[in-house]
Amino acid sequence: MGGPVSFRTKVFLSITTTVVISVWIVASVVSTLVTNSFERQDSQRTAALVSQFRSEFDRRSTEVARRVDAIANSETVQRLALNLGTSRIDTAQYYDAAQALAKEQSLNFLELAGSDGSIISSAEWPARFGYKETWLLQPIDWKTQGVFLQREELADGPALGLMTVRALNAGDGLLYVAGGQRLDKAFLDSLPPAPGMNIRLVRDFDAPASSDDPVSKLTAALIQNVRQKPRELSFTGSDVTLTAIPLLGRDQQLLAILMVENSRAELANLKTYIQGTAWIVGSAGVMLGLGFSFWAASRVTRPVRELASTVRDVAGGNWDARAPVESKDEVGQLAEDFNHMTEQLVEQRDRMIQAERVAAWRELARRLAHELKNPLFPLQITIENLQRARQASPDQFDEVFRESTTTLLAELDNLKTIVGRFSDFARMPAPHLETIDLNQIVQEVVKLFDPQIEAPDRPRILKILQLDDHLPAVAADPEQLRRALRNLVLNALDAMPKGGTLTLRTQRLDGPAERKVALEVSDTGEGLTPEECARLFTPYYTTKQHGTGLGLAIVQSVVSDHKGTITVRSEPGKGATFRIELKA
Amino acid sequence: MRLRAWAWLALSSIWAAYLPGATRPRFGGTLTVELSTGMLDPASPQGHLSVAIAETLVRVNARGSIEPQLALAWQHEPDYKRWRFSLRPKVAFHDGEMLNASSAAPALLAALKKKYSDATITYGGQTLVVQFEHAMPELLAELARPEAAIVRKTDTNPVVGTGPFRLVAWEPGRRISIAAFEGYWGGRPFLDSVVISLGAGPARADVFDIPFGSTRRVVPENTRIWASPPRELIALLAANPQSTLLQALSLAIDRAPIVNVLTQRRGDAAFGVLPQWLSGYAFLFQTAPDIARARQLISQLRLPAISLTYPANDSFVRAVADRIALNARDAGITIQPTTNSGGSLTLVRWPIESADAAAELIRLLGLLGAGEHAASIDPTKPETLFEAERALLDDHRLIPLVYLPELYGLGPRVHNSEAAQKRDPFRLNLENLWVDP
Repeated sequence: MGGPVSFRTKVFLSITTTVVISVWIVASVVSTLVTNSFERQDSQRTAALVSQFRSEFDRRSTEVARRVDAIANSETVQRLALNLGTSRIDTAQYYDAAQALAKEQSLNFLELAGSDGSIISSAEWPARFGYKETWLLQPIDWKTQGVFLQREELADGPALGLMTVRALNAGDGLLYVAGGQRLDKAFLDSLPPAPGMNIRLVRDFDAPASSDDPVSKLTAALIQNVRQKPRELSFTGSDVTLTAIPLLGRDQQLLAILMVENSRAELANLKTYIQGTAWIVGSAGVMLGLGFSFWAASRVTRPVRELASTVRDVAGGNWDARAPVESKDEVGQLAEDFNHMTEQLVEQRDRMIQAERVAAWRELARRLAHELKNPLFPLQITIENLQRARQASPDQFDEVFRESTTTLLAELDNLKTIVGRFSDFARMPAPHLETIDLNQIVQEVVKLFDPQIEAPDRPRILKILQLDDHLPAVAADPEQLRRALRNLVLNALDAMPKGGTLTLRTQRLDGPAERKVALEVSDTGEGLTPEECARLFTPYYTTKQHGTGLGLAIVQSVVSDHKGTITVRSEPGKGATFRIELKA
Repeated sequence: MRLRAWAWLALSSIWAAYLPGATRPRFGGTLTVELSTGMLDPASPQGHLSVAIAETLVRVNARGSIEPQLALAWQHEPDYKRWRFSLRPKVAFHDGEMLNASSAAPALLAALKKKYSDATITYGGQTLVVQFEHAMPELLAELARPEAAIVRKTDTNPVVGTGPFRLVAWEPGRRISIAAFEGYWGGRPFLDSVVISLGAGPARADVFDIPFGSTRRVVPENTRIWASPPRELIALLAANPQSTLLQALSLAIDRAPIVNVLTQRRGDAAFGVLPQWLSGYAFLFQTAPDIARARQLISQLRLPAISLTYPANDSFVRAVADRIALNARDAGITIQPTTNSGGSLTLVRWPIESADAAAELIRLLGLLGAGEHAASIDPTKPETLFEAERALLDDHRLIPLVYLPELYGLGPRVHNSEAAQKRDPFRLNLENLWVDP
């Protein structure tokens, strides 16, 4: 799957990967450093706010104590205490006294209660007169108790108060003055939080989460944790960091939680900015890689491609092709070396051709000498016999002369035949192409050999024809094709002196680019060695005792003139198969 | 010895002469009156302060019964449709015109027509005949109301009556000045003049009102309080009859703290519609708060928060509403007081306008939309009033809470308020007061 990855793609991938990884690493490091810095800053801001809260808490505690003292020492309260002691008073007339006193001292909470805890007057909930505040009756030294947090029930729900209590002597009983300030939004508003911070008091621990958003869920989880074990605790979410500071009452019960919320929106924005920048830089890197890869390809791969094209030209036989040398770098050196190598190959080829030509001429000379030597020797003997007969037996000369001339003529015919064959090979004409039916050619040629195949004195040859019925017509010279096929059949029969199977096969070949036909001639003879296969089509090369070495050379010449190919596959002892492929 | 006897006689005479002189009414002087609310319209009654410019044919006496005023005598047909009144002779209006049937009839007819369209009047001499198409047993109570006063208008005086005082000046919404009417048929009042002004600041006048409502005045020391009998009912009304809820709420509300603390013991716990002085049977409706029972009643109900509407700018009613909400909370009922209208419950202040129990009960039943209970009322049979009121309470449409009197503070210059109250316990009659110089 997939072809080889181009150099340009490799350069592109390398640059892109390098840029992206570098940008990612830088972005990650910067993001981590920014996150750490923000968290450190959040922690410091939270600590500062909590410290400010405690300071304000202490300041207000002192203020509450002072104001409650002022109320306890006021004429109204002192008179009430005095009258309570003498039992000469209807406390009803004091039922709204607390409101005025609380207003005078700017207190949110003020209750005046009798010895039994019954409220005489309540500023925060005037309607509660007569109800009992049982917590006032606890055995506590209110003088030393100081200011404490107290959950106060109000008409519109519970509230948190910074309270203190004064117990005044009223005859045999006591008059309780319980006053304080509300720990509410106004209190929190006096603590200006830093931008991005938000503080609030959580009093209703069982209130359901306002929504399903992550901050609400985080808040609910934090509250539950602090409820289980009251202590300062922080949770960090994706959008916010929450810090819970438990606010405990007089009996160390958890009354409220001061929730400090540090928004991480700025951090998220910065992270988004970093990510965006990383994306932009990464994208720019990719684009840069793309551009550089094109540039590098133009600088590196174009010479390589040109070199490759030159290589293909050379491989295709264009030995004059040369790679352009445009630089002095490695590619230029490579092109130069290639050109040098090509020149050396051309020289070697020329030398080889020359050597092969010499060898061919030698082979031709040898064959000619061999071929001519056979008829020449009888000619010489015959002529010498004729001379000896003239001198020694003139009476028998005529008979000898007749016999000798017969022999001479026969041998001269033989010489003539030999010379004719060479002459034929030399005079191979250009093919006259016609549209032919190859199957028909095959059947005609085989039919010529039927007498020879079926001759009773020959070993039995089994003839098999496997002809493709859908074979397309072929443009070829029928006579030359018959001649080539005859040579192949003749060779096959010669290769099977002890009999065997001759197979002729035609086949339709439908390739992606063109359509071809194949013709195979197979024998079951002795077969050929690889070396024989390599030299088989060399003119004048033969493996036979009396062959001229021109048969297969003629076949190859015919096939080549028809723009076809011929191949042989053979193994010793397993016969041989010649395959011709022609364009349909 | 004789000398000593004369000396003793002289001292005794001086002492005897001095003592009565200390309580002897003093003629003259101007009484200042400051009211915190009201229209300050001479043609309208100023609460229970009897300015007494105009007078009615009859009036309610200290025992709560009707007695003659401008009418000396009256008779009615057995079916109470026709009434005959004989007017008091030698009564003059402030402009000198004498009172007779022809001068009294227009004002009387106009007052009656406002409520009873079938009223007609015929007259002659000193006799007025009032005719209705329906029985009017409560007519005397109607005629005792200030709205039925006999007044006239002139070009220069919007209110010309027969009362002990005549209108001298009137600045609408700010001040009324009245002066003693020398020709008053009952005798000249002690005071030369009275100036009534409107203001909500600290009380500095000789007489000032002490409302339970929007303004709680700082009452100066040495101030005596004049209180009328209960003349106002504060009750809780349900927009829709909710038997169980109202029953539970009624049991949850403790009226004693409201009376003792919020009214400073000047109000009375209300368990019925009509106060005891008016009906005589109100004590029969008394119940005690029972939080446990209230909780039990609503235990099967799923009650949402109930809104309780109370009049805006009325701190007293707001305090009552808050206390009710607190009591209800103890019983497990959530009530949210609000000044927005349309609440499931409404806290109302109803003035008791009539001294006639039957008339007042019928009027209140009409206001409640419970007129079906009024049909069984027979003014001559008090038991029918009780039955009608009990049926109304059993409907659980309202919960009576507290009756309020009207309170006035009297400064140290003011005298004779006790005598005035004996004559008319329901109004502070200025004509009986006299002041130190």
